[in-house]
Amino acid sequence: MPKLIFILFLTLFSVSSCIEIVDDLSLKSDGSGTFKYSINLSSSKIKVNSILALDSIDGKRVPSIEEIKQKIQQFVKTLDSQNGLSNVKVEENYTDFIFKFQCDFTSVLTLQEGLKQSIVILSKEKSLTQLEHNWLTWDGNKLVRSIPEITGKKINELNDSDIELLRKGTYTSITRFDKAVEKCENQAAQLSKSKMAVMVKTDTYRLKENQDILENTIYLTTSKN
Amino acid sequence: MKFKSLFLIALLLNISILFSQSSEYLIPKDAVTVFSINNISLLQKVSVDELITYDFMEEVHQELFDGSTTGKTLKDLGLDFNQKLNVFYGKGLKNEISGFSFGVKSKEQLFNVFDDFEILHKDFHGAQVYGSFFNNLIIRNESALLIRVEPTMEFIDQVTDSIWYSRGNESPFDYVQQEDLTDDGEIMDEQIYDENNEQLAFPEASDDPNVKNYYELRDSVQQAIQLEQLDVILHELIEKKENLTTSDLRFGEQIQHDSEGIFYMDNSRNLEKANGLWYFQTILPTLYQDIQELYTGNVILGDMFLRDNSVEFVLDARYGEKLGSIYEQMNDSRFDKNVLKYIPESSTGYFTYNINLRKAYEKAYDVVMPILMDEKNAQIAMNVLTIELLNEYINKDALFGTYKGSMFGYFNGIKKIKTKKIEFFYNEETFEYGEREAEAEEEMPIFTLGISIDRDDIPEKIMKHLGRLTSKIKNMGDYWRMDNAILDAAPIYLINKNGLLILTNDEDLAVNHSNGYGKEKLAKINVKKAKKSGFMYGAVDISETLNRFPTDILNPRQNEMIQSLKGKSGKLELTSSETTKSHTSFNITYAYEGKESSAKHLLDLINTIYVVSK
Repeated sequence: MPKLIFILFLTLFSVSSCIEIVDDLSLKSDGSGTFKYSINLSSSKIKVNSILALDSIDGKRVPSIEEIKQKIQQFVKTLDSQNGLSNVKVEENYTDFIFKFQCDFTSVLTLQEGLKQSIVILSKEKSLTQLEHNWLTWDGNKLVRSIPEITGKKINELNDSDIELLRKGTYTSITRFDKAVEKCENQAAQLSKSKMAVMVKTDTYRLKENQDILENTIYLTTSKN
Repeated sequence: MKFKSLFLIALLLNISILFSQSSEYLIPKDAVTVFSINNISLLQKVSVDELITYDFMEEVHQELFDGSTTGKTLKDLGLDFNQKLNVFYGKGLKNEISGFSFGVKSKEQLFNVFDDFEILHKDFHGAQVYGSFFNNLIIRNESALLIRVEPTMEFIDQVTDSIWYSRGNESPFDYVQQEDLTDDGEIMDEQIYDENNEQLAFPEASDDPNVKNYYELRDSVQQAIQLEQLDVILHELIEKKENLTTSDLRFGEQIQHDSEGIFYMDNSRNLEKANGLWYFQTILPTLYQDIQELYTGNVILGDMFLRDNSVEFVLDARYGEKLGSIYEQMNDSRFDKNVLKYIPESSTGYFTYNINLRKAYEKAYDVVMPILMDEKNAQIAMNVLTIELLNEYINKDALFGTYKGSMFGYFNGIKKIKTKKIEFFYNEETFEYGEREAEAEEEMPIFTLGISIDRDDIPEKIMKHLGRLTSKIKNMGDYWRMDNAILDAAPIYLINKNGLLILTNDEDLAVNHSNGYGKEKLAKINVKKAKKSGFMYGAVDISETLNRFPTDILNPRQNEMIQSLKGKSGKLELTSSETTKSHTSFNITYAYEGKESSAKHLLDLINTIYVVSK
């Protein structure tokens, strides 16, 4: 889980549950690909702006925009230095509070290891238990994916009194391939008309209730489309 | 001891009709702010056992008791609750004093708690003086004074520098390396800060152990000044029997009141000791003296009464004739009835403020200009010329016609307001996604502020020209709309009608009530109260305000406290009297419905504020 998301989750997300997350993975047959992660807080602009105007909330210090920017840059730099990762980019929009992260990877394993290493380096912890599990497994024809454990953990910490806001928040998981998808196990998954992309969408309330709701195993056709 | 805690001690120990004339004679005459409390009545209403269960007592106990007295509470202090408890604070040019005077019932109990105090004088003109670091305890007969005298940093530096340089030393700060001052802009986290701090050493001792380095000298100077200042206070207070009660007749008279609490603040002495005025004091002494004269007699005196189902604060702001003449003119203003039709009855808190800025300006010009003109200083002379020219050339009709001085405002709870958001949309073919703008709703506190205006053409001109510069400002006919004006997300509305200029984030007011609330306006009884009050009136329905409080920003404990207050809170009302050349009175009443005593109700409120703000 990128540090960017760490910061946003720990500060903004924890107090602003009307959030839109898109987790977008493009995978080639050789196992390389592109990972994109977007967080959209534009529907909670007032809340986020008013929180950023505070020194602290609920006993926790609120970072300034400058600090957030600095941490994001630090994260990008650290991630870019990881083996197997390249083209690390972050788009930051502090007017509407939309943050888009993306990077290219040589394999899903290097992607996960790179992200974990970067978070460990920046958090100054020797290891983080939330990072132990792998949320992506690829064998060349079958992808098993869930959501990063830390995302689920943070969503679980959201206040139940914000049910209405939780219902408005969305988490969209998209997986794209260069081959057609034969089938997938998650009943809620949608297949694109091109049959080369799978999308599972849920609201943050349902995700909080059931952390496995986005879990999916996707099987590709053996011949190239 | 922190003043905050002393103040809390004072608040919690509240209130009585009876008092004995003892502890108030131990308030130093240098005290500028005093809060004095009669204890008996509170303890009839709230027992000490009950008192010590409040959350804010934790902080009081932490301040009063150290590790050796863990588990002790206020009732173990040996206080005589038949005497008043007087909390005071004062800042002079050389020192700051803070503390409280109180009655002593049991010295043995007192010293069980204050067990680290050592005797300094067994018999100092009939009093015993004890000390513990910067705190001193003085006991005379059945009364005691706990006082902390702290020399001001400016005075300590002044004396230290004087001694340091007279000994032929060079600047002690030259060793600072340039690289220490560079800042690479890195954010330092707590861990790094702690690690770095471990490397920070105390200033090194000088080569000759018999010669003090700068910091050692500074410590010695601080201690010497502290002892000297304490000595001065002791002689005044104990030997000469000079105290605030006898030296300031206004306080002496106020302390005789039968009220449950007494408040005193001498603003003229606050001005005298204000650090920001050192320039005037040193460079323009005669001007400073004239300004000081203007402030002579500026004092705020107050009483707190605990009545059945209400707590009342009566404050009297007194001032000298010259300043009073400005205030009198300023408050000589007719109430603008128009404002009341713009305050809805549903509002949970509102205020009206009614002054005549033009009259105040003209009087201030008459009073202040002669003072400035007498000053023989080139800079002041130029300033006088500038002011005189501005006075001649500026169109005062236009200026004071735009802002006459009267204003009003209200809080109307939390409402959903329309904002814009960015949403992601997906291509069904590929699930590629893009962004588009969409309507959204967010909750926001609704505030309205308005001023009385004669020249409505002036804001109209400003808005018209600004509207040409940006598409965010739009003329909507009855009102102007400024998009994304609040937190870069929500619009703000400007209504410029009926002799009022109103700024609000309430769309309903702008769209549906730009000529006032009609039948929904403030009820007649409340209108009457606002009109009857002097230059200022305010009312807050705390219970309703709490109902509309955005609780999602509070933690569970704070939420619990807010919930507990809902349904048992009351109404707060502020009224003022007419202003004369000598004083203005203010009355703050907190009325509530419920069976518990006003003392307990007040303590519940204080405790909630403490917990929520913690």
